[in-house]
Amino acid sequence: MAYRLVQLELSQPIPAIPLAPEEDGVGLVARHEGRLVGFRMLPRPAGEGLSAEAVRAVCDAEFALPLAAIRARQTLADRWDLAPASPAPSLSIAICTKDRAARLARLLRSLEAVRGGSSFAGLEILVVDNAPSDESTREAVEAFPDVRYLREPKAGLDFARNAALAAATGDLLAFLDDDVVVDAGWLGGLLRARRACPNAGGFTGLVLPFRLDTEAQVAFESRGGFGRGFMPFEFRTERHGHALHPVGAGVLGAGCNMCFDRRLLLSLGGFDEALDTGAPLPGGGDLDIFYRVLRAGRTMRYEPAYAVYHEHRETLPQLTRQYWTWGLGFMAFLEKARRTDPELRPRHAAMLWWWMFDRLGAIGRSALKGRGQALGFAWAEFKGGLQGMVGEYDRSRRRVQRIREQAA
Amino acid sequence: MTNAPWRILDIDLAEGPRDLAADGSPHLLVLWWRSLPIGTLALARSELPFSAAQLADAAAPMLADQALARTTARHAGEDGAPQEPAGLDAAMSLDVLGQLDAVAAAPPPRADRLSVIVCTRDRPQQLAACLDSLATQAALPGQVVVVDNSGGGSAREICARPGVTYLHEPAPGLSRARNAGLAAARGDLLAFTDDDVELAPSWTQEVVRAFDDVSVDAVTGLVLPARLDTPAQRAFEIDLGGFTSRHFPIRFDSRFLEVTRHMGPQVWRIGAGANMAFRRSVFARLGGFDERLGAGASGCSEDSEFWYRILAAGGVCLYEPRAVVRHHHRSDWQGLRRQLRAYMAGHVAALVAQADRYGHRGNIRRIFRQLPVYFARKAMQAVQNLQGWRLRLLWAEVVGWAIGLTYLLRPRWRRIGRASRSRAASPAATAEVRHA
Repeated sequence: MAYRLVQLELSQPIPAIPLAPEEDGVGLVARHEGRLVGFRMLPRPAGEGLSAEAVRAVCDAEFALPLAAIRARQTLADRWDLAPASPAPSLSIAICTKDRAARLARLLRSLEAVRGGSSFAGLEILVVDNAPSDESTREAVEAFPDVRYLREPKAGLDFARNAALAAATGDLLAFLDDDVVVDAGWLGGLLRARRACPNAGGFTGLVLPFRLDTEAQVAFESRGGFGRGFMPFEFRTERHGHALHPVGAGVLGAGCNMCFDRRLLLSLGGFDEALDTGAPLPGGGDLDIFYRVLRAGRTMRYEPAYAVYHEHRETLPQLTRQYWTWGLGFMAFLEKARRTDPELRPRHAAMLWWWMFDRLGAIGRSALKGRGQALGFAWAEFKGGLQGMVGEYDRSRRRVQRIREQAA
Repeated sequence: MTNAPWRILDIDLAEGPRDLAADGSPHLLVLWWRSLPIGTLALARSELPFSAAQLADAAAPMLADQALARTTARHAGEDGAPQEPAGLDAAMSLDVLGQLDAVAAAPPPRADRLSVIVCTRDRPQQLAACLDSLATQAALPGQVVVVDNSGGGSAREICARPGVTYLHEPAPGLSRARNAGLAAARGDLLAFTDDDVELAPSWTQEVVRAFDDVSVDAVTGLVLPARLDTPAQRAFEIDLGGFTSRHFPIRFDSRFLEVTRHMGPQVWRIGAGANMAFRRSVFARLGGFDERLGAGASGCSEDSEFWYRILAAGGVCLYEPRAVVRHHHRSDWQGLRRQLRAYMAGHVAALVAQADRYGHRGNIRRIFRQLPVYFARKAMQAVQNLQGWRLRLLWAEVVGWAIGLTYLLRPRWRRIGRASRSRAASPAATAEVRHA
């Protein structure tokens, strides 16, 4: 199973999309004059491509309204004179990585391609090499001028993120995972988000698939992937129609593409090192920091033009494990929030109830419909959640304390 | 749910950027482009302050959708949603704000052709506010008829004002009152509204304008909430969706009846009886409102049952949100529960009546399949979201459904409907139904 990933420029004549015999679908990324407009997964019989007319019909149905909305937004901004003259901030970009030099180099190349046109007042790129087992990451970074290399010997993503926070100097600090590459509009999108909301505490952006070559990658993206849509949105501590917000902080975005006011992060004490430790507690750190930024009274803005392409898990066992980590990370986060933020305890309890109901419902539905793969994913996430509920956060805190002591 | 009253704030985006400050209360923003309502936006307390940039973010898709809808007519498919895609060419070439300016700038018509019929029952204060809003219309209607459906004629005094024709119809039932009103009306366009409604100043003009299209037999419009002070009012408007929610015009014709027929045509999506109008000629063709239905009889749905007849006869209903009214929702939980029970009972009765009249079995299927599934799904959601108040409202609906079922078992009640079907072509049908 493989989908062809196609970039479609709507202002040009719409082309046909041929498929190779092993391809059985299309992932369509639509742009207009370079701006991202929409994304659509189209399953097809293997090898049967789409005629130009068929692609056109998809565009009419799926992308016409978002495109008109983007154009209307622009016209309105011009008429209202919304382009502000606020001075551009400086930006630090931190990439935390471990033993994946090839992917890191791919990301650094994509950053090289966009940094030239940057309007930020200053721009630095930091690579944090997290408890590496060899020198390959350092060697990869040396090939790029103007990229700082740091080493964080304590294993754990949030140790590495905090090392980046200690070393960074920009007004804004953006984090990228090493399994993404940035879109051509990434820097411009981030600056636009900052200008739309100058006092935001943080920003998240769109995450599109980098490739859809395996069954697992297609399955993940078809189930929604990391997609958060193509319209900007601002989050605060309450959200109309979402009584449990901000406890379900996953709607804000994903840790592979996020940015914060650096001084705010410092005042919040940085990331929680007991989350995102890699095995046995990978995940939860992004939820936790989104939640804390909002609870500090600061806005988080989601901006679709601030986009990356993420290389999804390649195999089904890896993907199943990812759902397990989501359940685990979410529950560890929930336990931590319950302890540290008593004011919102009713929401934490309601979220626990809602989540059990939701996950058991997903398990029940996929079992009834005989969807084995969906059942496997739902079960993995549920199992992870149960594990997270029974003390995983405390165990992780003790493990992390030992890592700190060993390093000291 | 918090108990603070919500603020309803109208914002005309054509007037320029607005930064909304926080004032401690949640807001319902009603967004306009000049005379065009383009959407609503509910904001929790801490979602304010709301910047002009955020307003632009939220309004852009609404403005775009509005401009596209005002460029080519849209027809309702299943669920009443439009079935035509917008089209890439239109999206790429359309000057959204220019198009909206042009539509809004078209001069409004006079309203002399319009008779406005207000049916009321023992709500003198609200009726007075309604009549005030009629008296301050930008274009006065040719005639105002108030039909007092109270036993004692409690509205008589309030109606002692110039330009208001007062009628007393003591036999209870909203359909009876409406039929009495249309018998007294002289205009060739007849608009109906209720006593718990206040009309936007351009209402008569926009109703008349919507009939510019000669193929249109009936018009419905947007119903906004007048107040969102109490949890019950907010539950009705926001959680249950209120009366109407779309902000672009949409045409309902026999195709809509066809695509939804297998599961019971969803005619209630056409609009609300508090804001509807008809060409007089449709009543000559199709008879009057079914007096077995409506408030005071089965509970409600006399409006949607009449739209059903229009569509079945090949006619067209146009939902035109420019015709705006503001409705006072029930302020207490008990009143809301009673209303929902009556709505569901009336809805089931109308499904029975529609099935009897046309032999469309989908209506019955809806009673026994769609509605129980709806109850079950909503109950699950309420449990998952720990919303006890939603369960109590749902129970009122289930009780209403059970009451509605009794109409299935009333052969005489059902015979009246079948008899009126065979005579529906004659103008005398109205009178016969009334006296049956």
